[in-house]
Amino acid sequence: MAEQSIADVGRVMAAEGDRSARARVVIALLCLALTLSVFLSLTSGASDASAVRVIRDWFTGAIPADAALAARDRLIVYDIRMPRVLLGVLIGAALAVCGAVMQGLFRNPLADPGLIGVSAGSSLGAVAIIVLGTTWLAPVTLAFGTLALPLAAFFGGLLVTLLLYAIATRQGRTSVATMLLAGIAISALAMALTGIMIFMADDRQLRDLTFWQLGSLAGATWPKIGTVGPVIILALAAMPFLSRGLNALALGEATAGHLGIPVQRLKYTAIVGVSAAVGASVAVSGGIGFIGIVVPHVLRLAIGPDNRYLLPASALLGASLLLIADAVARTIVAPAELPIGIVTAVAGAPFFLWILLRKRGIIDL
Amino acid sequence: MIEARDISVTIGGKRIVSHVDFTARPGEVSAIVGPNGSGKTTLLKALTGELAYTGTVTLNGRDLSAMKAVEVATLRAVLPQATALSFPFTVREIVRLGLIGGRPGVLPGEDARLPERALARVDLDGFAGRFYQELSGGEQQRVQLARVLCQVWAPVLEGRPRCLFLDEPVSSLDVKHQLIIMNIARDFARRGGGVVAILHDLNLTAMYADRIFVLSRGQLAAAGAPADVLNDELIEKVFDCRLKVGALPEGSVPFVLPQSAA
Repeated sequence: MAEQSIADVGRVMAAEGDRSARARVVIALLCLALTLSVFLSLTSGASDASAVRVIRDWFTGAIPADAALAARDRLIVYDIRMPRVLLGVLIGAALAVCGAVMQGLFRNPLADPGLIGVSAGSSLGAVAIIVLGTTWLAPVTLAFGTLALPLAAFFGGLLVTLLLYAIATRQGRTSVATMLLAGIAISALAMALTGIMIFMADDRQLRDLTFWQLGSLAGATWPKIGTVGPVIILALAAMPFLSRGLNALALGEATAGHLGIPVQRLKYTAIVGVSAAVGASVAVSGGIGFIGIVVPHVLRLAIGPDNRYLLPASALLGASLLLIADAVARTIVAPAELPIGIVTAVAGAPFFLWILLRKRGIIDL
Repeated sequence: MIEARDISVTIGGKRIVSHVDFTARPGEVSAIVGPNGSGKTTLLKALTGELAYTGTVTLNGRDLSAMKAVEVATLRAVLPQATALSFPFTVREIVRLGLIGGRPGVLPGEDARLPERALARVDLDGFAGRFYQELSGGEQQRVQLARVLCQVWAPVLEGRPRCLFLDEPVSSLDVKHQLIIMNIARDFARRGGGVVAILHDLNLTAMYADRIFVLSRGQLAAAGAPADVLNDELIEKVFDCRLKVGALPEGSVPFVLPQSAA
């Protein structure tokens, strides 16, 4: 088995119990996997447009025989597939890294941005725009146009996170347990409000809502990437600075503090970063489940829980998996397409259960 | 040097520690003893800055509450009673976390092998590759001690003494490892560091501590050298138990004291 031989290489190179050499090998392989996934995504789809041909023409400057066909292909590759692939990479990486960071912060392998209500808050914001966009919230949609929905989802997520933080912080200390419980309550409230709006929605809105709630990368456009891309990239760029602190936090907040980690600042940065990245992701792609939980979990089994390697590896694997899931979603029922959330759930849930059963001894939930 | 004056800690409206003075000198093992619920751990948490307190705590003459976490971490390490993990770390990965602050006090390049050396000191040679969660409670406690030792490997750094805070370091250990751990603590003190340990075993306390602080219902009942503090009257008053210090059991009842260690 490939995984086994990688493990052996790691063992030879490093001190016993030190998995960093192995982690580096895995990260290198994941870079390769992401490259392949990007290539696969650019070349596959409902149309017969050839990305290879488009790219070759671009490089060689050759003038294609059939100009109309070439123009169509360029349109499909540049304006449909490329933004979609880029969005998939950004969102896959964001969901997986945010999952890993939340799990480190809550010291619980089951923690997920969905759990503390960030996703629910984002959903509420987006649903409000879909349902009330032509009536009560008409000024908002008028002012921001197609960006109204992503912005509403982003601020919904941020609002929930700030509310949670205010509830859970007393005298400068954030209680993770209070935050978790408050998150569950706020999630329930946000979902109830979302339910009321679904109740008010008409048929066309309902179809929009359902599709969006199941998650999809179908709406990818360059302007949308321009809006959420910088947010996600900034948030992800901040995460590596948290890795040592998150490692120490595994021993408990008090012990992390004794090791010299500024725990409050660590928690604050992690929370703001996660809510920004998750809010932005949910805004453009809806609720895509299981990436945030399965990816860090699988990687912890392969390379261990050291966040210095877990965070970059999560970004790479999350991006690859989401691209593959999206390729499946686009092609399996072509020319129609499946919401990607269905693909990630159908593949992710049983896989997750299998891992739990196989490795129950080591992972103590 | 740790100097605490008039320390009081109130948790949830209840006063757990009240008006305690405490001093731990470099070169000495200072033991905190007392019955369950007497405030030992709470006092230790105040001394390490983990709990809010009234009064003053100084570390090498500087006010603890005015110091940054990073500065404090170079001057003292803290071993909690027990540490549970929810992620599959190896033993080596845990011990290595002690080096996170980056001031173990060894020559450059030596810190790479420090986790192995620390593990060897706590008698866990060969455990580096094991999963922490698969170890027994006593082994886990020794892994944590190895991590703490990595943090302040040199008892004195740049002329300043450093301190080990140990909350019941031997409570889950067999007698052999109780002696190993207490010898590590005494050795740390002999080389110029300070040790503050909460202990339950009065025999080990008498054997290893240079100074004992006896807590009773959150207040300091006695403080001083073991020979001055441990007497029949204090034991009966504090522990509510009529025991005779230094009395041998009658007849043929076997007894084993750590003091008899060869």
